[in-house]
Amino acid sequence: MKHLFLASAATLLTATSAFAQDMFLDNATILSSDGSQRTADIQMRGGVIAAMGAELTATDGATVMSNMWVSPPLVTAVSTLGIVDIGGESATNDTSANTDLASASLRAADSFNPREVHIANARRRGVLYGVIVQNPAGDTIFGGTGMVASLDGGDASILDDAALVHIALGESGARRAGGSRAAAMAQLRGALEDARRDFRTQDEGDVLRRRDARTLRDVLAGRMPLMISASRASDLNAIINLKSDFPSIDMIVVGAEEAHLVAAELASAGIKIVIDPQENLPDTFDSVNASLDNVLAVDEAGVDYAIVGLSSFRTIKAGGLSQHAGNAVGNGLSRESAFEAITGTPARWFGIDLGDMDVGSPATLVVWDGDPLEATSAPLAMYQDGNALSLDSRMTALRDRYNPTTDDERPHKYR
Amino acid sequence: MIKFRSCLALTAALLMACTAADDDENETIAFELPTAFPSTYTPMPSEKTLITNAVMIDGTGEPTEANSLLIADGRISAIGVDLTADDATTMDAGGRFVTPGIIDIHSHLGNYPTPSVNAHGDGNEVTSPITSEVYAEHGVWPQDPGFDEALQGGVTTLHILPGSANLFGGRGVTLRNMPSRTVQGMKFPDAPYTLKMACGENPKRVYGSRGGPGSRMGNVAGYRKNWIKAAEYKKKVEDGDEPTRDLQLETLAGVLNGDILIQMHCYRADEMAQIIDLSKEFGYKITTFHHAVEAYKIGDLLAENDTCAAMWADWYGFKMESYDGILENVPFVHAAGACAMIHSDDDKNIQRLNQEVAKAWANGNRAGLDISKEEAWTWLSTNPAKALGILDQTGTLEVGKRADVLVWNGDPFSTFSRPDQVYMDGALMFDRETGLKPQSDFRLGTEIAR
Repeated sequence: MKHLFLASAATLLTATSAFAQDMFLDNATILSSDGSQRTADIQMRGGVIAAMGAELTATDGATVMSNMWVSPPLVTAVSTLGIVDIGGESATNDTSANTDLASASLRAADSFNPREVHIANARRRGVLYGVIVQNPAGDTIFGGTGMVASLDGGDASILDDAALVHIALGESGARRAGGSRAAAMAQLRGALEDARRDFRTQDEGDVLRRRDARTLRDVLAGRMPLMISASRASDLNAIINLKSDFPSIDMIVVGAEEAHLVAAELASAGIKIVIDPQENLPDTFDSVNASLDNVLAVDEAGVDYAIVGLSSFRTIKAGGLSQHAGNAVGNGLSRESAFEAITGTPARWFGIDLGDMDVGSPATLVVWDGDPLEATSAPLAMYQDGNALSLDSRMTALRDRYNPTTDDERPHKYR
Repeated sequence: MIKFRSCLALTAALLMACTAADDDENETIAFELPTAFPSTYTPMPSEKTLITNAVMIDGTGEPTEANSLLIADGRISAIGVDLTADDATTMDAGGRFVTPGIIDIHSHLGNYPTPSVNAHGDGNEVTSPITSEVYAEHGVWPQDPGFDEALQGGVTTLHILPGSANLFGGRGVTLRNMPSRTVQGMKFPDAPYTLKMACGENPKRVYGSRGGPGSRMGNVAGYRKNWIKAAEYKKKVEDGDEPTRDLQLETLAGVLNGDILIQMHCYRADEMAQIIDLSKEFGYKITTFHHAVEAYKIGDLLAENDTCAAMWADWYGFKMESYDGILENVPFVHAAGACAMIHSDDDKNIQRLNQEVAKAWANGNRAGLDISKEEAWTWLSTNPAKALGILDQTGTLEVGKRADVLVWNGDPFSTFSRPDQVYMDGALMFDRETGLKPQSDFRLGTEIAR
């Protein structure tokens, strides 16, 4: 039964005309970006949600898919999608740069390649929006200016080319700044002071050059967030103190493995966090208190949080986003909170329009063959503003060439 | 031959000298691997236990009607429909799934433990491309907190390998996931040793500017030179020439003798094919290719040669030789009739290998295969046990085997499911309901300490 549905979805996806085929989703389980769940029939015509409700009927010629799940596309709050082909090949890896010329002002958008294979591979697994973040290198704690992209693969897919500035504190920041946390904080405070300075020459800042200081002005003014990689509770407290000194800065902490020890303080300071709910080992002395309960504690305390796979951050495995959220559910988080943390929450932070799944709206949605939070589920179709997007990728081309069920007798290279 | 065996009680150092002087010129002496660092593994005390009312996946690859399992003296003593046993403690599974314990054939718990400080990097002997003399167990720290977390994910047996920097990385060791003060207390009794070898990018990258190998050509030349030495060494022993004991060649001779199983890090299909030919040149067998990101391209070749592939569900793209990874690798290898299995190589993934299998299984069926959950379970315990030479001891729920048993709180193919109870040798090692769980010394004194 499932294969019949798949065949029709495949036909749909190879259509070049964006809304060549209408769809009727019979008895769909609908997840919204706030995590809420309901059941309804959906008529999609011309890429628009034409009708939603109980007991609808399929229009003529529509592909009927029964008992599917429908959700907004997923959003990864941290990734390196589009700025690295192969992590281990430095020539293909634009995730960091060791240069004296620029730090905070290094723009991921200048490196972004929408045709990088991992983008299509992430899309195939339901992820359509990515916050793309560079990492620090050399002796600076600054990774540069991150961006937001639609992962549709098109040339116009950068949604925000200056969406955040990323820095590292904790052990990583300490190492780069010269060997201690004190040096990292000194570099950060000096940089924020430079952002307030009127430069007459380009290199009179205490820490930053003029162009980097100008970038940081937008952070200081709250026009774009400061994303901070940090894990240890004491580092999170240092960030909370920094927030009280610079209340206008919108702070997002990435990692935050020990957030459960200071959850109430993070919540009252209005500091957002991005966490991996599978991080439960003391990877370093930064996260001696890492625990699967971290996500439960920050949820309980009312911290504004997004979920990602942080190992994905390092090795381009953004596709596993929904599995990370699903694991949080397996460990006791509500389904609603987990799903919101990979859709609505990061979308709100970065101004991404996930659509509203209402009648008359151009469809921005994913049709899944099962619960999106289950690792066994996969997208069958994806729409963005009414346009059907391909779920094919280099991976699926390899799969098809070597599929053991094929009748194709030709040598592999001729298939 | 008889005389030689009678000498085995002597120390290893004396063993080589222990050949019969009066042997006929043409008579050969069997090469025997000396033993050292013996296992002191002792199961925890267990009760005679009857698990009833279970939905069972037994690891044989076939569906089973059995819904109950009797554990006596740490072994599975009966399995069947509605068993009874008056003298046993009954554990009513209440309709929950019951499966064999999970086996991870590729782990660095203990030799790359957390916290991953510099002082803890004991997994690669990066001093020469040929280090078949080192043993992974000598770098394993039994207080790695990762062991405890892996147990909660249902891992009852795991294989610790040296890293992949070297052509010959050293011996791997199979461990019971037993909370213990010593590695010897974890060693799987009588499990064969393995030899870690590595293909491809890593050895040539690490040694390219340190005397070589600097290319895949150099890699293969390096293997061949050392197999030639090993064959000579083995022959000297067999001829009664009493060579000076050489730890490096002893391990290699153990492979040629069939006592030590090859576990080889190899990503690319064409390279695995070259390595299969290499093994034929020197007359040994490759038990398992590890990572094997391109195994799906040569499933037929693996099946023909009875070589297993241990794979990830979806890791790819982090290095050139992993660029062609697909989500259907495990099921495609399985469909070709080869021995496929999941592996972690990771302290987080090892905690949820069932999900990794579930993902691969679903993707295979989505691509048109028709693999049952029972078949897919063999990727988690049965095939790893086979590839480690311990399938007669564990890996399936069958009478006579060690009672390594998981009771799940839901379908193990669901992301939301977790083991509720983990039994090893019939002893309850982890119980989500009562909070019974081991805790590493390292975790003591922290705010999350039990």
